[in-house]
Amino acid sequence: MLRTLIVAFGATLLAGTALAADRWDGADDLAVNPLPCNGGAGAEAAKAYDGGQPTNAADKTGKAITLVDVPKLIGIGYFNATSKGIQDASKELGNVTATTDGPTEAKIDEQVKFIDNYITRGVDGILFAANDPVAIAPVLKKALGKGIHVVGYDANSQPDAREWFVNQAQFNGIGKAMIDAMAKEAGEDKSFAIVTSTFTTPNQARWIAEMWAYAQQCHPKLKWLETVEAQEDNILSFNQANTLINKYGDQLAGLFGMTSVATPASAEAVTQAKLCGKVAVVGLATPNAMKPYVNADCVKSVVLWNPVDLGYAAVQVMRAAVDGKLKPGATEVEAGKLGKLKIVNGSEVLLGPPFIYTKDNINGFDF
Amino acid sequence: MTGEARAVGQPLARLRGLAFRHEGVLLTILVAALGVLALQSDVFLTADNLLNQGRLMAEVGLVALPMTFVIVTGGIDLSVGSVLGLCAIVLGYSWKNLGLPLEGAIVVALATGTAAGFVNGWFITRVRVPPLIMTLATLALYRGLAEGISQAHSVRGYPDWFFVLGQGDVLGVPTQLWILLLALILCAVALARTTFGRALYAIGHNEVAARFSGIPVDRYKLAIYTFSGFMAGLAGCIFVSRVSTTRSDMGTGLELDAIAAVVLGGTSIFGGVGTIAGTAIGLVLIQLLKNGLALTGVKGDATIVVIGTVLILSILVTNFVQRRQEGDR
Amino acid sequence: MATTAPQVDTASAATAALRRIVGSQEAVLFLAICLLLVVVGGINPRYVAERNLESMLLGNAYIAVAAIGMSMLIISGNIDISVGSLIGVLATISGTLATAGYPIVVAWLVPLALSMLYMALVGAIVAYLRIPSIVVTLGMLSILKGGLISATGGTWISNLPAGYHLAQMQLLGLPMPVCFMVVLTAAAALWMRYSAAGRAVYAVGGNAEAARLAGISRERTLMMVFIVHGLFVGIASVLFATQLSIIQSTVPPNLELSIITASLVGGVSILGGTGTVIGSTLAAILIAAIGSSLIFVNISPYWLRAVQGILILLTVLADLMRRRRRAVRG
Repeated sequence: MLRTLIVAFGATLLAGTALAADRWDGADDLAVNPLPCNGGAGAEAAKAYDGGQPTNAADKTGKAITLVDVPKLIGIGYFNATSKGIQDASKELGNVTATTDGPTEAKIDEQVKFIDNYITRGVDGILFAANDPVAIAPVLKKALGKGIHVVGYDANSQPDAREWFVNQAQFNGIGKAMIDAMAKEAGEDKSFAIVTSTFTTPNQARWIAEMWAYAQQCHPKLKWLETVEAQEDNILSFNQANTLINKYGDQLAGLFGMTSVATPASAEAVTQAKLCGKVAVVGLATPNAMKPYVNADCVKSVVLWNPVDLGYAAVQVMRAAVDGKLKPGATEVEAGKLGKLKIVNGSEVLLGPPFIYTKDNINGFDF
Repeated sequence: MTGEARAVGQPLARLRGLAFRHEGVLLTILVAALGVLALQSDVFLTADNLLNQGRLMAEVGLVALPMTFVIVTGGIDLSVGSVLGLCAIVLGYSWKNLGLPLEGAIVVALATGTAAGFVNGWFITRVRVPPLIMTLATLALYRGLAEGISQAHSVRGYPDWFFVLGQGDVLGVPTQLWILLLALILCAVALARTTFGRALYAIGHNEVAARFSGIPVDRYKLAIYTFSGFMAGLAGCIFVSRVSTTRSDMGTGLELDAIAAVVLGGTSIFGGVGTIAGTAIGLVLIQLLKNGLALTGVKGDATIVVIGTVLILSILVTNFVQRRQEGDR
Repeated sequence: MATTAPQVDTASAATAALRRIVGSQEAVLFLAICLLLVVVGGINPRYVAERNLESMLLGNAYIAVAAIGMSMLIISGNIDISVGSLIGVLATISGTLATAGYPIVVAWLVPLALSMLYMALVGAIVAYLRIPSIVVTLGMLSILKGGLISATGGTWISNLPAGYHLAQMQLLGLPMPVCFMVVLTAAAALWMRYSAAGRAVYAVGGNAEAARLAGISRERTLMMVFIVHGLFVGIASVLFATQLSIIQSTVPPNLELSIITASLVGGVSILGGTGTVIGSTLAAILIAAIGSSLIFVNISPYWLRAVQGILILLTVLADLMRRRRRAVRG
């Protein structure tokens, strides 16, 4: 009997190899739209406004409003930064009170319950970063139905469930920035692997799909080895990055970190394996987490946008929508110290191009 | 999980008396909490809010009912969250990838849940794997199957009639709340008034003695674990209908919520004691506490601290009351 | 079954001992690890390269250390599902002390002390107030998790002083966490087997009433085992905190599950009274090796968790089969 079990053990392992699939490709069946290789905007058709509108919203033009901000989860540096931006904008405008409240894990059910409670409580506006674009739609539509303004940032929902969405950067813009950086640091014909949070996180899925499309178009000799999941767990990301380094040895020339948790952990793995300079680490992360590695020259560039600005812009957009200054069909919006922001894709407010943190500028940021 | 010998000779009637006392204390706590929360927020005790909370607690509630049966027999089922996720994925997969009509997909999803529970029960009764270990293993296994089958794809775009289940109302009351109430009544009757129910208490008290008195212990245990899987599947269908999509991470943590409601309701983790009424009160107490605190402006992190404290304090209080009662005799 | 006169024959006594060792759960686990290394190493030799072996042991040593305490707890008939949250809290405290300028030794030792104090409280509730440990720790899980976020707001701790990173140091050429794991496992195993206190834990877990009749105080034994568990959790949290240059002040998801799984797969019986800490350490290593191997073997990432679940189930079944056979043989 024991022998049978041992055989079953080994067989399961070997059988598992039969289930080997191709490297994961973004898996959300949406079209990709890679940017041209040498800069310049991608082909963008103008789109009619496709957001939702609140029903019978009270007229609060110029009056004080209360907002709630429900990010994917609380307790990670990235959403601490967006929350700071939200508070900065609220203070600057003077007539906005905003609270950040959210689940301690990135789960849709918890997020939906939080939003639901605030609807019952009665707020004037909801800011959100969705864990799942479709799952969050019913509760957001309920909010719109009760006359509450809804503006999203960072992670979109279905367009008709919110008025506006502040997009930190276009998906294809991120893809281009990441791949260009990797090609420059590691080399045009090298191999890389990706550490992401989960395969079901929509933003990450889109970025990876766009990265691959762009790489195939403009850096065809780059080889994509594999993608691993590491939730939002520091040590797990570290272990996964280590496993990748151990598995591919010299073949691995670069690691992508797709979240603000995965990137520092991958950099740590490369540092502890004493492979700085041999394995490039490119990724999305907040500056504070990356300062030690950038200052040690282990990581050359960190791709992000300014999440503080993102939160700031979200509040500005919300205020403009409440005051009637931002109406469906508009092509740009005034966003305080950020100036005028463009509106693309019907109802998306674009923050701007991705921001690259390097050794020269990273020490000037504190989030 | 036993750490000490249980007194086997207690007559069932006296036990029921004790259990009733626990529910009484809990009910008092619930009413007190409601009162305090209602004072803090004037939207708390509205029909709108309460019905909405009923809608939101349906999934945990449906799973907590068979969990009561399971814990009364001295077992536990940690896999219910993963079964929910698996059934949700199977629902979407059967409908989208296999092309079944949606009604058929729902049946397949329910069948999957039942089968998942059956597998748990079979290993627990036939192979005699302790329930904690078995359901811990299936917690990982079923979640893994959900991830594997879904390949990280979500299935959306369901027809409108499907959303009546999770987002609609019947006679002004949310659909899933009707289902929960029906299940609650059936389970309460089964546990309190049937031979089957009495047998479950006996099994929890002393499984060997129960076996010797002719109770088909294995068959009953198999039944309750299968039932647990079925209810998780039903909860999965409702969840998908409520959020209009499927994800392989649905239901994570559900088992702890269900266990908290059951334990709070007076069911002893050692088995042999517990009622459906207690579970219902525990369920409502936790849900309304979370809701009421949020409406008062307490943030999420502080809310879970309160829930944890209430759980421990309630158990301490009811334990104290029971000890006093025991001492009086 | 009739008892025979005690065997004086040393040869058959030795054979019996050998058979006991070979037939034990620890042997099964060790065999499984070897099997894994051979099979996966055959598919991809880098799996058994020194660097990978070191990574596998290093990255999960803290789980093995925490599993030592957890195993003792389970042997005594209790469980702690708040351990993940506790480690998150302790790690944050350790990092906060280090960045606030306290001596590094303080940042290493305070988590141990706090953990033991906390566990003394939990132990008292379980032992004297007779509340089941699963209930108490279920409540504490929420309290710790919520408290941590409330207190820190989730900000990460960076700027840790040099010399703080215990887990990145080496001792006699081996990574510090591995040293801790080996030494603590050996010490705990010896303590459980040969000391009166250790054996009391088995007694209370197996049959508390019989233990009481034998003069063993259930309450004092439980208090002790909870505090010892606290010590191991404290050590594990320091290893956890010093592993990377930043400390994520949130609760690592599923950590308690990993620790409990390591204990259970290691052969600790949930009914209390049997199992060893060597088993749980081997199990922790095995689970880490399985996790790593699945990436090496190119198993489709979607099926990773499913395969892990099956392998855990198989290992548990092996344990059951073995126990069944041993019971039948008498």
